[in-house]
Amino acid sequence: MHKSYEIIEHTADIGIRCRSSNLKELFKNAALAMFDLIAEKPKSSFLQSFLNKLSPNKSEKIEVGVKGQDTEELFVNWLNELLSLSAAEGLIFYDFIIEKLDSNILEAVAIGNEFREYRVNKEIKAATYHELKVSQVKGAWQAEVIFDV
Amino acid sequence: MSEIWQGPLEKIDDYRWRITKSYKQGMRVDGIIYADEKLLKDIRHDKAAEQVANVAFLPGIVKASLAMPDIHWGYGFPIGGVAATDVEAGGVISPGGVGFDINCGVRLMRTSLEHNEVKDKLKDLAYALFNNVPSGVGSKGDIRVSAKEEKEILVKGSKWAVGKGYGTEDDLECTEESGAIAGADPEAVSERAYERGKAQSGTLGSGNHFLEVQVIDQLYDSKICDTLGLDMGQIVVMIHSGSRGFGYQVCEDYTRSMVHCLQKYNISVPDRQLACTPVNSPEGQAYLGAMRCAANYAWANRQCLMHLTRKVFEKIFLKSWQQMGMFLIYDVAHNIAKLEKYVVDGKEKLLCVHRKGATRAFPANHPALPERYKQIGQPVIIPGDMGRNSYLLVGTQKAMEETFGSTCHGAGRLKSRTAATRTINLGVLMKELEAKGITVMASGRDTITEEAPQAYKDINEVVDVVHNAGISKRVCRMRPLAVIKG
Repeated sequence: MHKSYEIIEHTADIGIRCRSSNLKELFKNAALAMFDLIAEKPKSSFLQSFLNKLSPNKSEKIEVGVKGQDTEELFVNWLNELLSLSAAEGLIFYDFIIEKLDSNILEAVAIGNEFREYRVNKEIKAATYHELKVSQVKGAWQAEVIFDV
Repeated sequence: MSEIWQGPLEKIDDYRWRITKSYKQGMRVDGIIYADEKLLKDIRHDKAAEQVANVAFLPGIVKASLAMPDIHWGYGFPIGGVAATDVEAGGVISPGGVGFDINCGVRLMRTSLEHNEVKDKLKDLAYALFNNVPSGVGSKGDIRVSAKEEKEILVKGSKWAVGKGYGTEDDLECTEESGAIAGADPEAVSERAYERGKAQSGTLGSGNHFLEVQVIDQLYDSKICDTLGLDMGQIVVMIHSGSRGFGYQVCEDYTRSMVHCLQKYNISVPDRQLACTPVNSPEGQAYLGAMRCAANYAWANRQCLMHLTRKVFEKIFLKSWQQMGMFLIYDVAHNIAKLEKYVVDGKEKLLCVHRKGATRAFPANHPALPERYKQIGQPVIIPGDMGRNSYLLVGTQKAMEETFGSTCHGAGRLKSRTAATRTINLGVLMKELEAKGITVMASGRDTITEEAPQAYKDINEVVDVVHNAGISKRVCRMRPLAVIKG
């Protein structure tokens, strides 16, 4: 994946900073960044990629609904819901369709593949509120979040 | 993180430093950090000291917001923090003061094997442990449980494992709370937590969790070592793990709901991750019930891991684990909140003691100790990094007086994981470890560099502080021979 996020250094844990032109994109990019930290697809051969393209229906789609009192709470709840679903369903998510997003509610579809199709590098226990920021910076949306790893 | 914390640290004595409550408006008590001058420099390198001050905001906090010498920057609470609140005076409980990995802890098992007997088999042993003890992210165990059994685990903890034949009554006696803390309420646990916990019993997990075969390389108190059946050159096994996805979900569920308790109970804290609620509120009682379920899950988990370890040793050395003297010394939690009684201002009070990266360290004759340890005090297990040492200590009376019966929990991180991975060469590190006679196996790509000795404070310095400050006492030191990481 193209790294569309920066790492925030933290002694015990790890944080990310990402930017997007709008809020929906920001939520999507943060989720992509989180799963990029967790796992990577092993480099597949040309033949394998071709076969994967022929049978792309192995992916699982899961509907995700999250509530929060404000955008920041919604943001943390979104990431935690994805971590929780990932662990419970044994899936690594690689794409997200944010269908609805206002300041209190998010509705989305998370698309993922089974754990065994990935090289899993890191366990993220949760997204935290510590030094959490979701704000508009120079005309774009920016989020900073620290994960417990 | 290059910023140096500039807050005031007033010297109390050689091993204690005070952040007076005047530092920040809203602090109810002082902050006190246990450290020597050298460790204090490291502590100033991140935001841990600021977090000690933030914890002092918690309603009902008594005496001081405490930090052990292994303290480092966490999220909300510092890692290495101890905070006790007065339950009857509206004192709060905070899921952030326990952490996501509820009852992350360590157990130490002795063996009657000598270093010479295992030397030639170490690589085989490490390989067999790596293959038979499930580790790594999202790892699933061979010990499968039904939904009904999972509820049983949450109430019975290690007792469930022993009932299944994964250990003995003797193991239970040598576990904090006998491996099952009372008051666990399975009804307070969400469906999702059950789902996350289902497949992960008997798995080590990842990150800093490990299983190590170690050799005793230094005795400090030979009388206590005799009581524990420990001597120089003897092999011991240390297991560091927690409540896995089950505990993370409990913490997440309750942090999410407690953010709303702040307003409901008119509580002001400087960081939302310090979200809390009065212990005696319905939300506080529900969290306690759920947290205790996770604590019991973790004890059952470490019991299963020990059982798997014993089986591997049997396979490699062709003797029964009893013949190899593989008996548990002790198992302690270092991420937990407990209701305990202490004398505060001359009065006995029921306190909610949060130990976030801190270990219980009760003295001799404490009623919570099993008969066999009444004379010596509670064994305290302090894991170090994979290249240096780990320690066995015992609790002291001074810990009861100063730190709510608590001491440090490990070496404490010095470098971030990303900085470690960036600056440490895996090949060079593996050669260094091999030269020291240490075999390391890990499942995660970056685990070994992230967990490199250079990423941690020197455990020897940390333990010097808690020993010299008198809040626990050195018994013996170990060094690693085989390290299995997640």
